Amino acid sequence: MEVKILSARFDIADANKLEVAKKHGAYGTLEKLFTMEPAEVTEVVKASGLRGRGGAGFPTGLKWTFLPKGLDKPVYLAVNSDESEPATFKDRYILVRDPHMLIEGIIICCYAINSHDAYIYIRGEYIYQAKILQAAIDEAYAAGYLGDKVLGHDFRIDVTVHRGAGAYICGEETALLESIEGKKGQPRSKPPFPAVEGLYGCPTIINNVQSIASLPFILEKGADAYKAYGTEKSSGTHLFGISGLVKKPGMYELPLGLPLVEVVDKVAGGVRDGRTLKGIIPGGSSTPVLTAEEAQSVTLDYESMAAHKTMFGSGGIVVLDDTVDMVKLAENLVHFYYHESCGQCTPCREGLGWMLKILGAIIAGKGKAKDIDLLLELCDNIEMKTVCVLSAACTMALRSYLNKFRSEFEAYIANTASAQPVM
Amino acid sequence: MADTIKLSVNGVEVEVPAGKNLIDAVAAVGIEIPHICYHPALGADGNCRMCLVEIEDGRPPLVAACKTKAAEGMKVRLDSEKIKKIQRDIMEFELINHPIDCPICDQAGECILQDYYVKYDHAPSRMRVPQVTKGKKMDFGSGVVHDQERCVLCARCVRFTRLITKTGELGIVNRTDQARVNIFPGRPLNNRYALNVVDLCPVGAMTSKDFRFRQRAWFLTKSKGICHGCSKGCNIYIDHNREKYKDDIIYRYRPRHNDLVNGYFICDSGRMTYKLENEKRLRVPLAAGQQVDLESAVNALKRRMDQADKLVFLVSPSCSLEQMRAIQQLATHKAAVLSGYSEGYIQKGDGDDYLIQDDKSANRAAFALLGIDESKDTLTAALNEADLLISFGNDLSLSGMDCTALGKTELAFVGSYANNCADAASYLLPVASYSEDNGSIINIDGVLQRYGAAVVKNEPLPSMLQILAQLGGAFGDVQAVWSDLNSAVEAFNKVDLQNIPAEGLALTVSEVDNVTA
Amino acid sequence: MSNRAELMESGKPFAFDAERDAEFERLAKRYPSRDSLILPSLWLVQDQQGWISTEAIAYVADRIGTFASQVYEVATFYTMYHLQPKGKIHICVCRTLSCYLLGKQQIVDYLHNELGLKPGQISEDGLFSLEEVECLGHCGSAPVVQINGEFHENMSVDKLKEVLATLQSGGRS
Repeated sequence: MEVKILSARFDIADANKLEVAKKHGAYGTLEKLFTMEPAEVTEVVKASGLRGRGGAGFPTGLKWTFLPKGLDKPVYLAVNSDESEPATFKDRYILVRDPHMLIEGIIICCYAINSHDAYIYIRGEYIYQAKILQAAIDEAYAAGYLGDKVLGHDFRIDVTVHRGAGAYICGEETALLESIEGKKGQPRSKPPFPAVEGLYGCPTIINNVQSIASLPFILEKGADAYKAYGTEKSSGTHLFGISGLVKKPGMYELPLGLPLVEVVDKVAGGVRDGRTLKGIIPGGSSTPVLTAEEAQSVTLDYESMAAHKTMFGSGGIVVLDDTVDMVKLAENLVHFYYHESCGQCTPCREGLGWMLKILGAIIAGKGKAKDIDLLLELCDNIEMKTVCVLSAACTMALRSYLNKFRSEFEAYIANTASAQPVM
Repeated sequence: MADTIKLSVNGVEVEVPAGKNLIDAVAAVGIEIPHICYHPALGADGNCRMCLVEIEDGRPPLVAACKTKAAEGMKVRLDSEKIKKIQRDIMEFELINHPIDCPICDQAGECILQDYYVKYDHAPSRMRVPQVTKGKKMDFGSGVVHDQERCVLCARCVRFTRLITKTGELGIVNRTDQARVNIFPGRPLNNRYALNVVDLCPVGAMTSKDFRFRQRAWFLTKSKGICHGCSKGCNIYIDHNREKYKDDIIYRYRPRHNDLVNGYFICDSGRMTYKLENEKRLRVPLAAGQQVDLESAVNALKRRMDQADKLVFLVSPSCSLEQMRAIQQLATHKAAVLSGYSEGYIQKGDGDDYLIQDDKSANRAAFALLGIDESKDTLTAALNEADLLISFGNDLSLSGMDCTALGKTELAFVGSYANNCADAASYLLPVASYSEDNGSIINIDGVLQRYGAAVVKNEPLPSMLQILAQLGGAFGDVQAVWSDLNSAVEAFNKVDLQNIPAEGLALTVSEVDNVTA
Repeated sequence: MSNRAELMESGKPFAFDAERDAEFERLAKRYPSRDSLILPSLWLVQDQQGWISTEAIAYVADRIGTFASQVYEVATFYTMYHLQPKGKIHICVCRTLSCYLLGKQQIVDYLHNELGLKPGQISEDGLFSLEEVECLGHCGSAPVVQINGEFHENMSVDKLKEVLATLQSGGRS
């Protein structure tokens, strides 16, 4: 089931080094790139059907076309490497194992959108990953792939690594821009959208690491070659991170559209011996959980996930078996979103803490019968009332646990919950 | 672009000013969209989420009104169950961690949480878990005391120090429900407009050390006034109260919005000039150095004037236009030399490029329009020969002249405030101050503004105009002065003094030119 | 989240050393706005003295030419900035989702029982400090522990014992 498109060089020793990466094809598309018109590059990306791999799945090429034409302001590229949604660890592989693929993608993107300054926003916890990335950038500068004249062409590209410092919200694209500008990562109201008014008030494209890293393949082999993978509306491949209570957790590159449960069983080895599947979080902690039954008919693409009232998200699949206490898991996730609330909008700032305390009371055996409905109502009261979707990421997830595993919450409230240690 | 646009609110078409956000646009026709963080002087931040409204057929259907420009044909819905529920929900979130300590809160009676609870919430509390606790009674400097628990994190105060004063002393630190406003240790509020954060704060989180616990807001009468602290003429509310068995006392000044003059704010020193109105006032009339009743003092001074050989009138640059004209008329009538010398009122370099002016007088611009001489030479020459100097509120000591060493010139003082000049006078006629009187002043930018009496003392002092009439002046009241100004002073020929707009009247360049020409 | 607003003074003025100063000046050329130097500068401070003192925040603000309140905001918003000294061995245990499912609590409990440390605390001898942190992006090799910046994957109490022993004996983990 596995394919090697983005991960082609992942298993090659020292592929983070320019010499090795180049030997295996890195920067091979640049000669072709500079013979193309920028608009042609965008057309190829549009035709490939590549969708943003950060979680929202917005078509990458289409995003680029939102840049206003004929402005005398600079255009910025911000590469989103904040990867912080629990269960997501795919971009890290690119940063560490093939950073030159990312740099090549940045060159392609900058050329297409006529940007000369790219900032890679990398989450603060990725300390050595940032060092490897910076070393690769330094090599690329030395080799003339970056700098004042990219490969001798009259085209400047400067790439700067900007480290975050522990804030999930900076993965939200306008919070990311605020953070580069030296502020708290508090999302901006939209409109204006970043393509019109982004970094330093200038037009800005923000793309996820994996999206950018997909560009060299698309440019080299063409849109059709990319579309040969995946489904009609969800084309290409994706780096899926499979984790949780599964035999072979890890990162696997797969074409989109494969059956979820089959992937869990065949690629990741299925649940541990003697255990049964209880549910699957399909695309990062914010995506509504699927029961084992629901998961049977889901395929790994944007459309199937939407049809099952959940989301494709970031490709972070978490397998839950029958040992999992769904109440405590829900509390663990609400704690995460509470902890990461930027504190800007009233409903999220005040509401997530309230919900967390209610869940804590339920777990402590102090819950009241009406607490479940209160939590469900608070989910509604918070969701989509805020500047960004962090709070919705929390409420969509929590609602799914409350609705699909309500009896477990009721059991706690009835004080009949057997204290199940999770392991 | 048209000046107005038409849009519908709750299905009713309204015509509103163009170019504004939804909150301001519909407020102009009396429709309230509740909001906490938005303030017209600070722009839209969009953090409170109280102003969410539905736009029918809009994409997205739910928007923050503060961030949404009113557009022709827009269909805005404020009265749907969905919106009413959102407003209730936002209020619930605002209140769950709020201490609800209204009985001891200075903001009670003028608090947005209280008002909105009654208007938009009215639901019982469902909070059964421990509240977040934060800092109390924090001294932020410049007379501002902060309560982090009452704060709703609207960031108005933070934006004020960053956008308006550009001093940036305040920030919101932490994230989550731990977020709180704070100063950086050792760098307290240190700007001359800091107390505006108290007015800006929609709740009781920012309080004024000066005002804390002195009055309940609902007992205060909020009268309109003009600050006389400098030549800017900022518009203020004079908040005063007559407690049982006590006199009418001013407890605070607050800024009053006027785009023509001061926008939304005032400076701290101007704000504190209310104290001069309560304290440091002249009360006891003098005649020939003896305490007498007012009528005797007026008559004594009148007799003294009649006996005077050479008479000099000195007028304060903070006198109203009407007072100045009446003094000018009396000077002419009595053949007195009239001087407006007052360079001591100007503190060179004290002003800034915002509201604070070097000139600490309120109405110097009127000198030029009335042709009142301000030169020192004129005054000193006249004093050399004079045997009586009558100062109308002008504290000559500010300008470096010793009022106790005027030689053979006897000094009379007609004014409101105790000062060195008044101390040295042998005739003293206390009169009502600007907060107790009405009149007009012209600010440094040539804006003519009218003010009315705000405070009525238990024992009211006469107005300066009344005193002037008793001393032999021609005008009994402001109406008479206005007719005279219209007919006799060129600069006011075309000014409709009966109908000065509430925001003031910017005198045109030609009116000023007429005088200097 | 805990309240991070209470800053600590180091008792001595702060300034970048030569190496960090050069890095600061290099970075200054990479951004069109000096405020963008706030996050990188705080990293440089932490790199230099291990934590971020009140004095250092003031230094960064004045060096950049921005409001101390803004640097204070940033320092308290981003949880990786240490606003007080940490142990020589600073242990971050991931507490979220996959690490939670795969037994992060046993690691936290071990550290509590063995070292007497609760999350957010530093040991009396200043050797260890413990933090429970949110998802570290290593879910496929959960549970994960980050010690002095270095990731240790597929952790167990036994493996942690070995790592700590190596670190204590002065070696690299």
